[in-house]
Amino acid sequence: MNVLTEFSLFDKTSTLDGVYVTFMVNRLQMLYLLLIMPIYLVQPYMIWAILAVGVLSHFNLMILSKWFASDYSVKGYQGFSQLLGRPLLRFLAFLGLPLLLLKISILVLGYSEIVHQFVFPAVDRNWMLLFLMVVSIYMAAQGMEKTIRFIVIAFFCTIWMIVLYYSFFTYPIASLSDLYPLIPENSSDFFWKGILLIWSSLSGPEFLIFLAPWLGKNEKIPKYLSIGNAITVIEYLLLFVATQFFFGADLLRQAKFPMIEMIRYLQLPVFERIDIILIALYMFHFLFTIAIFLIYFYGGLRIIFQKRDEPINRLSFFLACLFIYVSLVLLNEWLWEEEQNVLVDFHIWAGAVSYILVPSFLVAMTKIKERTKGGTF
Amino acid sequence: MFFKKKAQHKEDQSPVTIERLKHLTSNIEDAIFVEHETKSSKTVTLIYIKTIIDEARLNEAIIEPLLRCEKKPINKCITNAKVSDISTVDETEYKLMTGCIILHDSANNQWYSVRMDNPEGRGIETSETETILYGSKDSLTEKIDDNILLIRRRLPLSTLKTESFNLGSQTKTKVVMLYIEGLTNPQLISIAREKILSIDFDQFLDSSQVAAFMEDHIHTVFPQFQQTDRPDVCSQSLGMGKITILVNNTPFALNAPISFFHLFQSPEDYINRWVPASFLRSLRYISFLLSITLIPLYVALTTHHYQMVPIQILFVLVESRGKLPFAPFWEGVLMLTVLEIITEASLRMPTKSSQTLGIIGGIIIGQAAVQAGFVSQVLIVLVGVSAIASFLVPNYSITKANSLLQLIFLILADVLGMIGIVFGLVILLAHLNGLTSLKQPYFAPIAPFYWKDWLDLFIRAPLQWMKVRPESLHPLQKWRYRKGR
Repeated sequence: MNVLTEFSLFDKTSTLDGVYVTFMVNRLQMLYLLLIMPIYLVQPYMIWAILAVGVLSHFNLMILSKWFASDYSVKGYQGFSQLLGRPLLRFLAFLGLPLLLLKISILVLGYSEIVHQFVFPAVDRNWMLLFLMVVSIYMAAQGMEKTIRFIVIAFFCTIWMIVLYYSFFTYPIASLSDLYPLIPENSSDFFWKGILLIWSSLSGPEFLIFLAPWLGKNEKIPKYLSIGNAITVIEYLLLFVATQFFFGADLLRQAKFPMIEMIRYLQLPVFERIDIILIALYMFHFLFTIAIFLIYFYGGLRIIFQKRDEPINRLSFFLACLFIYVSLVLLNEWLWEEEQNVLVDFHIWAGAVSYILVPSFLVAMTKIKERTKGGTF
Repeated sequence: MFFKKKAQHKEDQSPVTIERLKHLTSNIEDAIFVEHETKSSKTVTLIYIKTIIDEARLNEAIIEPLLRCEKKPINKCITNAKVSDISTVDETEYKLMTGCIILHDSANNQWYSVRMDNPEGRGIETSETETILYGSKDSLTEKIDDNILLIRRRLPLSTLKTESFNLGSQTKTKVVMLYIEGLTNPQLISIAREKILSIDFDQFLDSSQVAAFMEDHIHTVFPQFQQTDRPDVCSQSLGMGKITILVNNTPFALNAPISFFHLFQSPEDYINRWVPASFLRSLRYISFLLSITLIPLYVALTTHHYQMVPIQILFVLVESRGKLPFAPFWEGVLMLTVLEIITEASLRMPTKSSQTLGIIGGIIIGQAAVQAGFVSQVLIVLVGVSAIASFLVPNYSITKANSLLQLIFLILADVLGMIGIVFGLVILLAHLNGLTSLKQPYFAPIAPFYWKDWLDLFIRAPLQWMKVRPESLHPLQKWRYRKGR
């Protein structure tokens, strides 16, 4: 009997159902709305933008589903190396790691800022970063399969919160006139940046490409992707309209975290401020995503350092996590306060670009590869 | 293991002799060697341990037929007991020490054994650990054959298979694994079989010790086997596609694989009408959550989040805590420790004394602590509610784990308030999500997600709706009814 059980991050014991795809698409797309929505998403006519970008996102997901239908996807690393070749794969992993680090940073630092602002103004943010990282590492250390399964828990622990925003639709101050103008008077930069923000917020499902071995080949993947995307668009619309009713476009621009500001006004007979509970519960959602990204990050490092064929050990995984934690602390100390907008802008662009490029690139490469194969026969 | 395994017991496969047996039973005062002569003047030696055999039956089933025996071999003379051939020392020793009569036909140098164990023991009684108002009242006993009988009465199937094992180099405990062939997933059967066969230890005095060796995760407070003394629960589990393990000399059977949610199911859920049954089951989940978070919530609110408390309640809290010398965390730790001491003491005391202890503990100490100004009245109420809530969960293992969980949540609540409590919940759920029982996910049917199994999860849907067996168990027969009839 071993005292320490074998450490395995990428084991697969069963194929997971398509419903995980729906849950993951939805939760990944809902990640950044809470943190970065108000920068450009303030005018009522953005309702149409949310709908239009939601439709575009649907088409993008259909392209992504073609990747899931390919033979390369379920093979995981082997599939990628067959498709792209090892040097290109290493190069892409090299490009992907900073993007992952950026995503983790925005998530952890953004969430810790919310906690700092609304719950614990006196607590040192670095402690909060440590707690978040420790729990995420614990979750990630259980392996990819169990971490993916956690999405069901994360989904059900957070999805119901949308119901709470219902009360903002029935507030006496809520008026339909808050939703005017529904048509933009001119196409300003602000409008286009709003479109970009929505597209970037809807990004995230492209990260599912690495989960194909666990999700298996499923004919219904397009359906599950679409349902996830549709739930997100409905949530975006409800939340956006609620913010319009509550703040109005002018005031919305002033609010840093409008979603959180709004729930500060909700109360129960036993709790006067339920925002503290809700902010805490959002952790299910964030910690799950950070855990998945930590495993991705470690997997990426193994590809870059060509250690893919060596057995996984705890030490290297914890060192990778430690590197991320140190980076987060440094970012928090040096950049977050002064250059927050630059980081967020960079994140918006990076998210938008990765969401549009990754599915198309992979599908195009698959087609090229198949054509080349066909030519050789 | 931290230490290197060394084989301490080697099987003796050498042929059995009277001298070897005499050597084996030296200094055993109740070991009997007696010779009888048959009608045909054959000498038969009977060897047995007097205290563990049924002496009344010995005379009637063995000695009398032997004395009347003429030309037939002695194993043919004994007709109303099963006679088995034996040959090796090890086999003979095992049979002798487990209630068999050893017969030696000296003329032919043949060795036989006849099972004749002492039937003394507790009869079939009502379950005291899993009491229900309605439903069957019989419970498992220490006698494994009786337990198999109780299950077979409920499942008269030729497909109900039993596999027997002997565990423990000292105790030689008989362990029987039951499953329904053609229904239970063969993978589960082979996992359980492999786990039992790999066990190597000296003593098995209780089924929980067998479970300890079969568990996938040893560093957790959550049981991965359902321990029950109810034959109806075992039968139901078998019928769903699970495995039941019976251990001799213990009235508790083990059912596996289980999920975390099985620990909240009571046999009465399937006897009550579905609406009250569902309500009571939901209440158990809420109670479990309350029992681990109520006092931490008090600590979080009074230490970090006064702003969350409505003004009227805040007045009560301030008044209650105004003159207390301890911080809410220490107040909570103090009360939880006292509560644990009272609970543990009342379990160890005779029944009548434990009632007195309950009164002293609950009323006198509680009241005195408030009057002395050590703890607040609000906390006393919360401790009482959380203690009662913890006993709503039918599985006692969970109740025992509660106190530990409560303490961890208390520390987290003191450090990080509400955020700490949710941190605790995330860790708890991630931990449960990582556990397995017989290699099957412990948090099913939530993660992995089997939506059809939700009919018997937080609620107990009408039986007519539960037409399929739990998907999470991967049974070979999916449907619970015969189609087309």
